[in-house]
Amino acid sequence: MRHLFLPFAILGVLALAVFLGPLLWRIDPLEMDFTAFLAAPSLDHPMGTDATGRDVLARFLAGGRLSLLVGAVVMIAGLVPGALIGLISARVGGLVDTVLMRVMDSIAAFPPILLAMAVAIGLGGGLWAAVLGVVVSTVPFFARLMRSEVMRIRSFPFIEASEAMGGTPWFTLRWHIVPHAATTMLVQCASVFGYAIITLAGLGFVGLGAEVPTPEWGVMITEGMQYALTGQWWLTIFPGLGILIAVVGTNLLADRLSKVLGGGNS
Amino acid sequence: MTSLILSRLVSSFIALLGAALVAFVALRLAPGDAARLTLGAFATDEAVAALRSEMGLDQSILTQFYVYIRDFFTGDWGRSYALGEPVRSLLGQRFPATLELGLYAFCMAFVSALVLALWGAHRKGPISDGVPKALGVLALGVPQFWFGLVLLIVGFEMTGLFPGPAGRLPATVTPPAGPTGMYTVDALLHGDLKTFATALHHLFLPALALGLLPFGFLYRLLRANLEDVSGAPFALVARAHGQSRLRVMVATLLPNAIIPMLTASGLIFGQLLAGSVLVERVYNWPGAGMLVTQGVLQQDYAVVQVFILLSAVIYIVTNLIVDIVAASIDPRLAKGGA
Repeated sequence: MRHLFLPFAILGVLALAVFLGPLLWRIDPLEMDFTAFLAAPSLDHPMGTDATGRDVLARFLAGGRLSLLVGAVVMIAGLVPGALIGLISARVGGLVDTVLMRVMDSIAAFPPILLAMAVAIGLGGGLWAAVLGVVVSTVPFFARLMRSEVMRIRSFPFIEASEAMGGTPWFTLRWHIVPHAATTMLVQCASVFGYAIITLAGLGFVGLGAEVPTPEWGVMITEGMQYALTGQWWLTIFPGLGILIAVVGTNLLADRLSKVLGGGNS
Repeated sequence: MTSLILSRLVSSFIALLGAALVAFVALRLAPGDAARLTLGAFATDEAVAALRSEMGLDQSILTQFYVYIRDFFTGDWGRSYALGEPVRSLLGQRFPATLELGLYAFCMAFVSALVLALWGAHRKGPISDGVPKALGVLALGVPQFWFGLVLLIVGFEMTGLFPGPAGRLPATVTPPAGPTGMYTVDALLHGDLKTFATALHHLFLPALALGLLPFGFLYRLLRANLEDVSGAPFALVARAHGQSRLRVMVATLLPNAIIPMLTASGLIFGQLLAGSVLVERVYNWPGAGMLVTQGVLQQDYAVVQVFILLSAVIYIVTNLIVDIVAASIDPRLAKGGA
């Protein structure tokens, strides 16, 4: 378990800060302080203020809540259909398997962020259109992994034993195959969590994610970009660090989880 | 071998059709009238109807898909409403800039990944192996566009070592006329070393920003592959022959560890293309990626659509080539067909 300490510490501190921080730091992320435009970090504004006098720390915390929420939503919304498709594909086989996997291949042929862009544009833009775009791009990851896991586990003797003792296909699937596939899927979940955060920020950066006043890390970097080279580094550095911490934390968690759980093929 | 190539050709063709279908469906998810959306709420009904028939929206969905595929593969990619030019000539003008940036990014990523992975596998110390490993984890977690900005803040604003986000060459330098459109190559072909150096100077930061993600990806892949093959029986045999550790590493382990990296080429191209969309905007790099970002911001989607579908086509074609090359290097693959 000591392998998991570092990633859990990173993510735990971040989650505590963004979810409990607002109880201590009671400034509205949209409130403008007309006495401090583009103020450098100080005791009043530990991360400074932006061009309209909004507190960057308050926006950072709100952006963090949004990012972690989106990470969780994408993870679950991608896992459920992805795992189901993988399961059906492996279990039913034949033509169904071929068709489903061809569809997954077609989706996975696009670089994920570009596919997410296409879906977000198709849906007319906005935060949730972008989130759905990211979800669609994660489904093939889950589906292919689930399929190969079920195929791998099915060749073990304990599956034969379960069937020989009269276990129905559903029973074997539910009690013998899915629990063994779960560990690998868990690792995949962790890496999708981080992937969702960084991709949503990228979409926000090209203008397809959250709308402008929303405190979202990618949008904050876009808004701060024009000030990055005139000395107001705090507008871009802090939200980027937020993304970095969140994504490195989850990637590390995925790495260590796969080591601890011994999932050899992830 | 022939049957392998045939079956790969067929499955690539199916994947191409599938990708076109995915792009077609994704971009038509919007409820409502695309012609009305393009023209805005104040357009007359006649104008909307005219655009509808021009865009083919009054035809059946199957006909629309057929026309979409036919136009894409015959190179009729529509025109950009904002720039008033055909998409194909726009992309043609801008692509060399993206290609040049991508090439340098890839070379930097590949060489540093190779050197660091070999060094770490050769000497497993905290600095030789630990630091690059941490760097590999970091590289996958850094948003590329943000890293580009950080590099600009440090390399341009604070130290002045590198040029600011001013594109490929300063306005005072005339770009070299040349066959490739890649300034460093064209400058060399003309023997113009000064322009070559300036172009390289402008390339460095954006290429670094773009190359970080492929670096992390390639480094981790190669490092893990080296670890895997170092336990293989042929590695033991090579060591038992009394070859030096370095020789075993370079002559025996590396070739076996690098072949699996070939199969990642499609992914790397995808990463570079997608990354160019994010990084070019930071550096005002006049490439295809910048065209895409501008298209999104101005809601001028013709270029965006083509670029997205092209990225999938490049991925599929790359994988096709890689499969065939891998099978000709490794006969086991040709026989198994897997």
